[in-house]
Amino acid sequence: MIARRLLIASFALGCALVSSAQPAFVGPAPARTILPTPELQRAAYLARIDEILAWRSSQAKPGELFPEMTMIATKLALHQDAELCSRSVIQLMKTPASGPFWMFPTVNVAFLGRDQLSLEARQAIRKAWSREMQMRGDTENHWAMYYTSLYLMAELYPNEPGSSWYSGKSSADNLAEAREYLIDWMNLATTVGQGEFNPTHYIGEYAIPMLYLATWAKDPAMRLRGKMTLDWIFADLAENTLNGVLHGANARTDDVSVIERGKALASFFSWVLFGNVPPIISYGGWGLYFATVAKNYELPEVIYRIAVDRPSDYVQRDFKRTRRRWRNSDVLMAPIYKTNYTRRDYAVGSYQGGLADPIQTHVWDVTWDVRDPRGVHNTMFSMHPVSSSYDLQTYFSELPDQMAKEVTKEGKASYDSPDKFLGGSRFEQVFQDLDTVIALYDIPVGTRFPHINGFFSKDLVQLTVDPSGWIFAQGGSCYLAYRPLAAYQLRPVALIKSSMTGERASLGDQQLFSPHLKNGTIVQAAAVSEFKDFAAFQAAIRALPLSFQLVTKPTVTFQTLRGKVVTCTFGAAPIVNGQPFDYTTWKLFEGPYLNAEKGSGRLTITHGALERILDFKTLSITDRVKP
Amino acid sequence: MSKIKIAGALLLSWVVALGAAVGPAHDLILCVTFRVPGGLTATALPLPLPPCGFHQRGADNRFTHFGPNYPRFNNLARDPRDPRVLYAASLNGVLCSTDGGESWRIGTSWDMTEPRDVCIDPHAPDHIYLALPDGIAVSNDRGLTWPRREIGLPRRGKYMQAVKVDRAQAGRVLAGCESGIYLTENGAQSWRRVFSTQATTTDLQQSPHDAQLWLATTQSDGALRSRDGGRTWEKIAGVPAAAALYNIAFDATNARRYAVASWTYGILTTEDGGETWSERNAGLPAPHRVFRLGIDPDNGRLYAGVYEAAVYESLDFGRTWRSAGFEHSVVYNFVFLPRFVNTPALAHLP
Repeated sequence: MIARRLLIASFALGCALVSSAQPAFVGPAPARTILPTPELQRAAYLARIDEILAWRSSQAKPGELFPEMTMIATKLALHQDAELCSRSVIQLMKTPASGPFWMFPTVNVAFLGRDQLSLEARQAIRKAWSREMQMRGDTENHWAMYYTSLYLMAELYPNEPGSSWYSGKSSADNLAEAREYLIDWMNLATTVGQGEFNPTHYIGEYAIPMLYLATWAKDPAMRLRGKMTLDWIFADLAENTLNGVLHGANARTDDVSVIERGKALASFFSWVLFGNVPPIISYGGWGLYFATVAKNYELPEVIYRIAVDRPSDYVQRDFKRTRRRWRNSDVLMAPIYKTNYTRRDYAVGSYQGGLADPIQTHVWDVTWDVRDPRGVHNTMFSMHPVSSSYDLQTYFSELPDQMAKEVTKEGKASYDSPDKFLGGSRFEQVFQDLDTVIALYDIPVGTRFPHINGFFSKDLVQLTVDPSGWIFAQGGSCYLAYRPLAAYQLRPVALIKSSMTGERASLGDQQLFSPHLKNGTIVQAAAVSEFKDFAAFQAAIRALPLSFQLVTKPTVTFQTLRGKVVTCTFGAAPIVNGQPFDYTTWKLFEGPYLNAEKGSGRLTITHGALERILDFKTLSITDRVKP
Repeated sequence: MSKIKIAGALLLSWVVALGAAVGPAHDLILCVTFRVPGGLTATALPLPLPPCGFHQRGADNRFTHFGPNYPRFNNLARDPRDPRVLYAASLNGVLCSTDGGESWRIGTSWDMTEPRDVCIDPHAPDHIYLALPDGIAVSNDRGLTWPRREIGLPRRGKYMQAVKVDRAQAGRVLAGCESGIYLTENGAQSWRRVFSTQATTTDLQQSPHDAQLWLATTQSDGALRSRDGGRTWEKIAGVPAAAALYNIAFDATNARRYAVASWTYGILTTEDGGETWSERNAGLPAPHRVFRLGIDPDNGRLYAGVYEAAVYESLDFGRTWRSAGFEHSVVYNFVFLPRFVNTPALAHLP
């Protein structure tokens, strides 16, 4: 947990950048134009990178040292002001920080500045890596950044003794350790499943180091591994976005982007790669570190097409894994079965419940499309708000009592709040079939926050509490039917504006508060275009057979709008049309766009006739255009 | 190393310690981090807080930082033959020093993280035990390599918070895990469970007066006592068990005095060998969230690290307290090590 504090410091730094004259952020939402050729796609990509660099460069104050690393990296990327960059580096290296969030920006500057920085500046960087003990952190994204940074610096300064590195290990030993970790992690992610899957902001912590590895590793095999991992991450991003907006489920998200789905670092990546959504303010801060090197990455057309060109609805099923469980579990990493059903107007995503991550998990939602996602709360879901030292101890090597307190002070301000909308629960079980979600809750007596929260956006229209028990609404071009299974109140809620500070704002959203331990939610989504009008949608929903009981184990039998009869009982396998639903047969990826067998290390990315195969076993990329 | 050499080294350290009779016989080193009110560590932002890491008490009772400015050390072990050889359980893994903390090497690799405890076998000082969130690693070569030694530990439930070597017998080690207390009598070649717990055993201590007497604290089962060298354990009546206990200490100056630290209960003490217990929180800041305690083996002075408040000391075993500094700190350990005099280990002290 302690290393998380470093993220906060760095995150705060990124957000402190101002948005003045940031063209894509203040301009209109991008046109939804599919660029027809790779050349046009590439040109647009490069233009967006140029926009970022020009914007950041323009913020330099004449004659003043650059106060932080994104400015130096930007100037170096533009081959400007090398002398001022050198003096700024020397100044900053006088007080090196510790941890991966200091390491990777320093690597960025060290490599961009190899032929531009003065000898004294380069020596200042080298000296900082010698004297300041670097924290490795305690999380997968920390280690991706830490070991990529260490790998690259050990290559940059080979044949040096342990006395010249903070780790006390020689260049060769540092290189070997970093290489071994990175390969082991890539093998794990591509055979057993990704850990911090589909993160709304942690995507930067993976994409940026992988870009650096793909760009600067001397070893061609490691360069290729970086490139392939980057493709893997971006293919996953493309498939899980709705016109650039990353929807649930997410291993990790935050209080803001779980509600305003477009306000995520993932949107920066969608914007820079696919051009189909506005970037967030200041390009998320982190985006600058990507942009300075981004021209070295060539987005495969097949990934671009998956993001922007979907001829039909699709179901994608993926196999992921939880964060490591140190305690309170029979397994080190539990399986995650993730479903994504995406249509033109909305997407429904989920996994089976439980905690992928102890604090920031988001298990399911319906996210509807909006032409411009800025300021729009385009999502609906329910959840059990968990605040539990037991759950924190499952994932952290800490004593029990201080953790919730520390978490709330370290960038997860809502953790101990009963009206939060962020987090998963061991007491939630979810099943999704196409655009139907059934979430059941069986919360033990004595649990802190013994209730569930449903999120009702300010941006819903035609919100109707129906005597049938259903709540009907419309979000964008999506009709929504929400069925609480226990008594509830709909009440105004002030949302958290910043996970860092916990500051709240009342914007018109509502919380469905249901203080019943045995509980449940059914959500059925549909496209507006499927019905004559809203009344016809409501009538169709009312006509769907539904039975449930909450007395012992919560149980629901529901005939979905798509004609399937689904029975869900908390603690038991779902039954669909009379057959138990079997997760054990799931592949690593299965769907029209991404396919991989468990254990294979081989991802096939497909769009129409285009195909790219990433094979980590043979370390090869194979492209083809199918006949 | 031969037994003769080891015995010689132990004798030397004892003689050296005696030689320091004019001053404390033990060094006190705090494993400490500092917090900005509001939440961030001193290493995260350039703030006017003391450096995190090791703070060592000098002859004038003033503390001096040494080693890296690093926010998480859980324990420090020192080779009884050579005060320059140190092993630190840190977030990064085990840090090893051969020059008294002037320079460090991360001894473990990427596959071991966040060790919770480290200890040296005094009879075989090349053997170092490292408690990990997923088991245990044992170095038999002074920290050069760290193979896992987990035969007999469960596949799950081996989260290890504490590891302590029996000073009376080489290769005899107790480990406090999620699922209970485990014992090896063959240098971790094999383990067996000697007590089951519902949740983690948080601390293990061997009496300085009676090598057969051990105490333990747990999250779920209160405080425990063993009178047979850790083979069997009993719950200590009179110590509450409804909330987690964090650590326990013997008073080396008085065989009948122990103390327990707890976030919930604060400081609990006994002065009759565990028959009766008293809360000793008067004078500690409220809430008395004691994260760690220590008892100075030289004089029985009781130290309490109150979470994010300060370190407090008591000269009357908890009846009264006074601040000992370290405001805004979290103390992860009070480490008392037999003092070596006139050695490079103390060179950094004022």
